[in-house]
Amino acid sequence: MYRWLDERLSLSRFNKKFLRKAFPVHHSFFLGEITMFAFITLVLTGIFLTFNYEPSSRLIKYMGRELPAAYASILYIDSLPFGAVLRSVHHWSANVMIAAAFLHMLRILISGAYKKPRELNWLLGLALLGLSVVTAFTGYSLPFDAFSVTATQIGYGIGASMPYIGEWVSQLIFGGEYPTLHSIPRVYSLHVLWFPLLLMALIGAHMLIMIKQKHTQPAYAEKVAPGKILGVPMMPQQGYMMGVLFLLYLAVVFFIGGSYIAHPVEAFGPPTASTPAVKPDWYFLWIYGILQIIPGDLKIPLPFGAAINSEFIGGVLVPGLLGIAAVLLPFLDTRRTKQRYMELPTRHPVRTSVTFALIAFLLTTSLAGWKQEFGFSNLQLWTIIIVGTLATYLASYLIIVSYWGKAPKGEAGELEEA
Amino acid sequence: MSKKTDTTRRAIVGATVGVGLGLGAISMLVPIGALKPKKEVTPETEPPKKGDVFVFAEGDKKGDEISFADLPKEGPAVLAFPKDPKTGVIKNGERNNMVLLIRLDPGELSPETAEYAADGTVAYSAICTHLGCTVSEWLPDKGDLMCPCHKGIYDPRKGAEVIGGPPPRPLPALPLQAQGDKPVCAGGFTSPVGVVAGLEPQGGSCAV
Repeated sequence: MYRWLDERLSLSRFNKKFLRKAFPVHHSFFLGEITMFAFITLVLTGIFLTFNYEPSSRLIKYMGRELPAAYASILYIDSLPFGAVLRSVHHWSANVMIAAAFLHMLRILISGAYKKPRELNWLLGLALLGLSVVTAFTGYSLPFDAFSVTATQIGYGIGASMPYIGEWVSQLIFGGEYPTLHSIPRVYSLHVLWFPLLLMALIGAHMLIMIKQKHTQPAYAEKVAPGKILGVPMMPQQGYMMGVLFLLYLAVVFFIGGSYIAHPVEAFGPPTASTPAVKPDWYFLWIYGILQIIPGDLKIPLPFGAAINSEFIGGVLVPGLLGIAAVLLPFLDTRRTKQRYMELPTRHPVRTSVTFALIAFLLTTSLAGWKQEFGFSNLQLWTIIIVGTLATYLASYLIIVSYWGKAPKGEAGELEEA
Repeated sequence: MSKKTDTTRRAIVGATVGVGLGLGAISMLVPIGALKPKKEVTPETEPPKKGDVFVFAEGDKKGDEISFADLPKEGPAVLAFPKDPKTGVIKNGERNNMVLLIRLDPGELSPETAEYAADGTVAYSAICTHLGCTVSEWLPDKGDLMCPCHKGIYDPRKGAEVIGGPPPRPLPALPLQAQGDKPVCAGGFTSPVGVVAGLEPQGGSCAV
């Protein structure tokens, strides 16, 4: 059988070329894999969900109640054997995917792996992170319960706040002023078809470029075998590790999904005239926090009657600027040599401290999401955010410099190629 | 075949393909433009107009007409939709028609607010000017309106001006008048309802 296939598909050539590829091993290298496992789980559980979901907000009779069809179909899914568990696993996997992708990005950032020649993969990775968050957001609106309608309404408003094009863009995505009868079919199409296809294409490109360019290796590899790739073969060693990790991932996420039902649609109830007190998922909490504490009278007029509003600044401009900074990052580095080995975070005090400051910024702005519960004023929160971010940078920089000293000229890896 | 005719042929084929693709692309702008659905005005989606009564938007009495006695004194606010008394159509087909009815002490109202009020009862658009949530929370301490989404706070005694949080402008008021024991609409909203998409609001949204 193998020979029959081999004669026609040259399997041994493929095997030699790809499946024996050396994979460098480092415990932080599994973050990207976990992101992919979460994506695979999302696709599989998503197929189950699409088979039972009805993408419409028209009112229908369900168990004697008049409910939107989408909402009723989620109740139906929850009533199926393992239905609620699979839906929970879908939800939790989305959370894990975004968390793992973000940590993966931080790993690349502090180890300098975004530098030449891996700029393209850094950009693809950023696109993947952004697209994952957008895909998760489009998933929010599908259950069409009181919580999800409110959350999507806010998304509509943020999109509409973009000067000139905002209203058009928002109405195009959400099918008119959300919620209309067109809204659910459009968001459904994006969530289950176009965004996943785009994600798959980008993940494919991300993988191919990674295989072509290889990992940045841990620094010890240079001492052991300079200029060579140290690692375990793709098959069987790396393959088995991945398989075990995937099973472990499934075990954990099914345990969580089985124990804690995510997004209890029945408890939230169908959409109501009033707004339930809702908080977004943790990965939107920082934007939610910023939106709450930006003064509303902040308004920068633009020509032709447009204006930059606080909603635009909090919801689009701040995340957008962070994104642009991330896009430009690899191009600030003007070295000519190729980056082959991971850089030690302690040898790059500025970059590492900026990373910590970014985390402090995200955490303190998320704290602003609990403004009401903690009874903070805007002034207090702004102080916490600004002082917290700057203090984190300073503290981190001073600690790194005093413990490990400044980065020496000609670091490991740079010497070798120069 | 000479070289010259060859280049002319290529140019013609290139131009034909280019013009064809160009026209095709331009014609696609029409269906793309139609992706922004047209808003159809039906009796259910018409904005409130003079003479409309109000009905409960939610709760046990959903759909029942609201009289002054139904409104709790000094709040909390009641969510309501306008209803055309002649046709009996409740205008709940459009979220932007949702209003907050609040019965306040007439002496506490600012002069501008008193103008729109009927016997101390005021009506405001229930749609937050920040990001379009329903302003459905009532802060009982001072009797203010709060939007639960990003904690925008409005003072219903002073024309729903923003006294806290991020909203960019006050809630539009809906002028009221008394007709028997019921508050009825005395005109259109005083400013555009809901999120104004990055643009400055321009005047009133609907005529009386």
